[in-house]
Amino acid sequence: MASKWFVVKRLLLLIPVLIGISTVVFAILHLGGNDPAAVMAGQGASQEQIETIRTELGFDDPIWVQYTRFLSDVSQFDFGESYVLKPGQPVWDSILVDKLPVTIELAIYGQLFGVLLGVPLGVLSAIKQNSLTDHITRIGALAGISVPIFWSGPLLIILFANILGMLPASSRIDTQYFIEGPWVFMGNELPLTGLMTIDTLLLGNIDAFFSAVEHLLLPAAVMGIYSMALISRMMRSSMLEVVRQDYIRTARAKGQGQKITMLKHGLKNAFIPVITVIGIQFGTMLGGAVLTETVFGFSGLGVILVNAIQAGDYPVVQAAVLVFAMLFTLVNLTVDITYSYLDPRIQQ
Amino acid sequence: MDVDGNHSRRSFLKATGGTIAAVSIAGCSGSTDESGGTDGDGGDSEASGTINYARGAATKSLDLHKIDDGESVKVTNQIYDKLVQFVPGKNEIEAALATEWETDGKTIELTLRDDVTFHNGEDLTAADFVATYKRFTDPEYEYYIGEEDATSYAGNTFGQVESVEATDETTVTITTKKKFAPMLRNLAVFAAGVMSEKEIKTGEQFDSSAVGTGPFTLDAWQNEGEKIRLKANPDYWGDAPKSEYVIFLAVGENSTRVSKLTSEDIHIIDGIDAEGADRIDNADGVELVQMTGLVTGYLAMNLEKREEFRNTKVRQALNYAVDTKAIVDSIFRGFASQSSQAVPPAVPGHNEDLDPYPYDQEKATSLLEEAGFGDGFDFTLTTFTNPRPYIPSPSQAAQKVRTDLKEVGINVTIEKKSWNDFLNYTIAGKHDACFLGWNADNGDPDNFLRPLLHPGIESPDGQDWASFSAEGYNVYNASGWANQEFMEKVEEAQTIIDDDETRLKLYNEANQISHDEAPWVFLDHADELRGVKDAVSGYKVAPVGGPFLHLVSVE
Repeated sequence: MASKWFVVKRLLLLIPVLIGISTVVFAILHLGGNDPAAVMAGQGASQEQIETIRTELGFDDPIWVQYTRFLSDVSQFDFGESYVLKPGQPVWDSILVDKLPVTIELAIYGQLFGVLLGVPLGVLSAIKQNSLTDHITRIGALAGISVPIFWSGPLLIILFANILGMLPASSRIDTQYFIEGPWVFMGNELPLTGLMTIDTLLLGNIDAFFSAVEHLLLPAAVMGIYSMALISRMMRSSMLEVVRQDYIRTARAKGQGQKITMLKHGLKNAFIPVITVIGIQFGTMLGGAVLTETVFGFSGLGVILVNAIQAGDYPVVQAAVLVFAMLFTLVNLTVDITYSYLDPRIQQ
Repeated sequence: MDVDGNHSRRSFLKATGGTIAAVSIAGCSGSTDESGGTDGDGGDSEASGTINYARGAATKSLDLHKIDDGESVKVTNQIYDKLVQFVPGKNEIEAALATEWETDGKTIELTLRDDVTFHNGEDLTAADFVATYKRFTDPEYEYYIGEEDATSYAGNTFGQVESVEATDETTVTITTKKKFAPMLRNLAVFAAGVMSEKEIKTGEQFDSSAVGTGPFTLDAWQNEGEKIRLKANPDYWGDAPKSEYVIFLAVGENSTRVSKLTSEDIHIIDGIDAEGADRIDNADGVELVQMTGLVTGYLAMNLEKREEFRNTKVRQALNYAVDTKAIVDSIFRGFASQSSQAVPPAVPGHNEDLDPYPYDQEKATSLLEEAGFGDGFDFTLTTFTNPRPYIPSPSQAAQKVRTDLKEVGINVTIEKKSWNDFLNYTIAGKHDACFLGWNADNGDPDNFLRPLLHPGIESPDGQDWASFSAEGYNVYNASGWANQEFMEKVEEAQTIIDDDETRLKLYNEANQISHDEAPWVFLDHADELRGVKDAVSGYKVAPVGGPFLHLVSVE
């Protein structure tokens, strides 16, 4: 098990990383050359009005003053107020809190799809190397890597929703369900998580739960295909390497069964590079969320980011990019910790 | 109203001094047409079933005084009533909360129904309307919404009003500053909906709560207005709602919205582009409902920026040179009709004697030669890229304009901008020429001619254009055109109360002038398109004032 010190060290390392990210985000938006005061003042505003807003909000302060103010606000989860999408309302409370769970849920189920299919396929492919199964899996993986979401998404919609009519093409749940908190646990009213599949269960609405799962199948598959392909390839090659190691031969020599040899000695060791891929894929998946959310009509962080960019709503852009970056770093942290569990030597 | 707009018209108010207006079709005295209403007892039929309505974006707010976007208005129209309203599917006014009205031009006296209750159980009285009016427009009022929050509709709707008084429990008296014909129609605009005085005085926010007198009450509000459920109001004074629930859902992607109609549980969708229209047309179990909209799309030539455009012959030449029939038929796929003037056919004052400029390159060439531009010239056409109701495929239309004008020696450079950038750019008058369009607020001709072609200020002597930077200039006049004769007719028409014939004649003449002087290349009047499941009955496309969902039922 990973030592506490290792985890603490990794957590502390997050701080400079996050400062770095926020600096880059801050710099990019300020180099963009757009005048936030003009955006806020709206169309046809006079120069005078724009000047007033600029002074009021401190856009005419020196850049380093603006920067330190930005850092101190962000560290308190204060991302400012939206200019355009929800004028005057706090970005975090009125926009991101609702959108973040949508994207997280999508990414989790997408990754689940990728891992649950990718790992067994990779193992199978490795064990039955050069068999027909292996060939089919490898060709499938190649196809999965090559197909972009904006093509596979509509294709699956046409097949499963329009032609077969088996699965819904969009939204997170059937129109009739209104999933509303709070939910009551031991007499306490608690807020909902925002994750449809969890909330429906918390509220004990089984029909709604199945509806939510049904609605997640296609988008999760679309997001997961790419990841599944990469994972299965990585799993296969890693597994092939591991089965040639001496300790596998030793295990076999002492008469241990094929199953235990492969699963206990083989899989665990073969997993390390695969974990890296899973971690990186999770990040890619957050990026892919923009496309998947658009195609499937999920209103998540990805869609709001694109809307905010188009509308010139800089606080929302900043906040969304920062949140994406934070998620990515957290996933990386989790990957590192998992490593140290699988291979304690890494801690040194 | 900027139906799909995410852009506030607040600054427009500042630019025009809030004098947007409309015509009194009903004449000087109100009709008491009950339009088959069941007069308060709610009818016998039980409301049942749910209507699922999908639109392009979330409802921003339910506060009548804070909204100016169609996605919000669609919902508030179900919850709030106006004193008078548009006849479903038509551009005409009928009785609503007021049963009759008298006017002498400056004063309108309206008699309210005495059998209306708000969703909170309070009876409707004249004091409710007065409180609503004050909340929207009166900075002295304790519960004033605030200048920051109030939309330009405060000025658009009530800018000409001097006072609003409750003469007694059921009589409202509205006095305007001068004779103002469009006043009655303004009362039918969503922004003139009646809120409950009792609720106003709680000082609460009404973004995600609403207490009106309308056919539906707010039942659930989710995800910042993306999903809203309304429940039938059993005590509704008019035709009892036929469905028990209405659910409004936001589906951003156009093609996804169509899929939800054709293969999922959505009954009605709007915001349909040409491609979606084809899909709906070819799908089973759904119908494409189509109606010429109260919209106008055009290419404005900026007279201030480009000297070439100050020559009438050049402007006419462009109208002859651009094949608008091809644009309407091929690029907008027939879901629009050619335009000859700013005022659409369904709006009174539309001049029926005018024909669209025919596609005639020879005529265009000779006009250019007469004007001294036989060798042509260059200009930049600025366009937005997202589909708008009045110009559904702006980029392709711009390409077509470029190809057509090249034939007569005019070289066009196309400049594309995102919607917000585009508006800021054109409002500042930085464009040589641009695409633009307009949706009707109150269905009155004044609502087209005054904001779109009147400069809002006096034009300098002997000059038929004005400067965008001049004090008080109406920035929505994107061509800078300032024709004295046209301006006089529009201004006069605004004050004619009791003589529809004279008023409409003035608008006909104004349309003739703008057609001949051609400050725009007149492009199109686009159709309103809706996709409706066959299981739906009673639904009518309402180009203004709708949708009227209480008349709709689902099998």
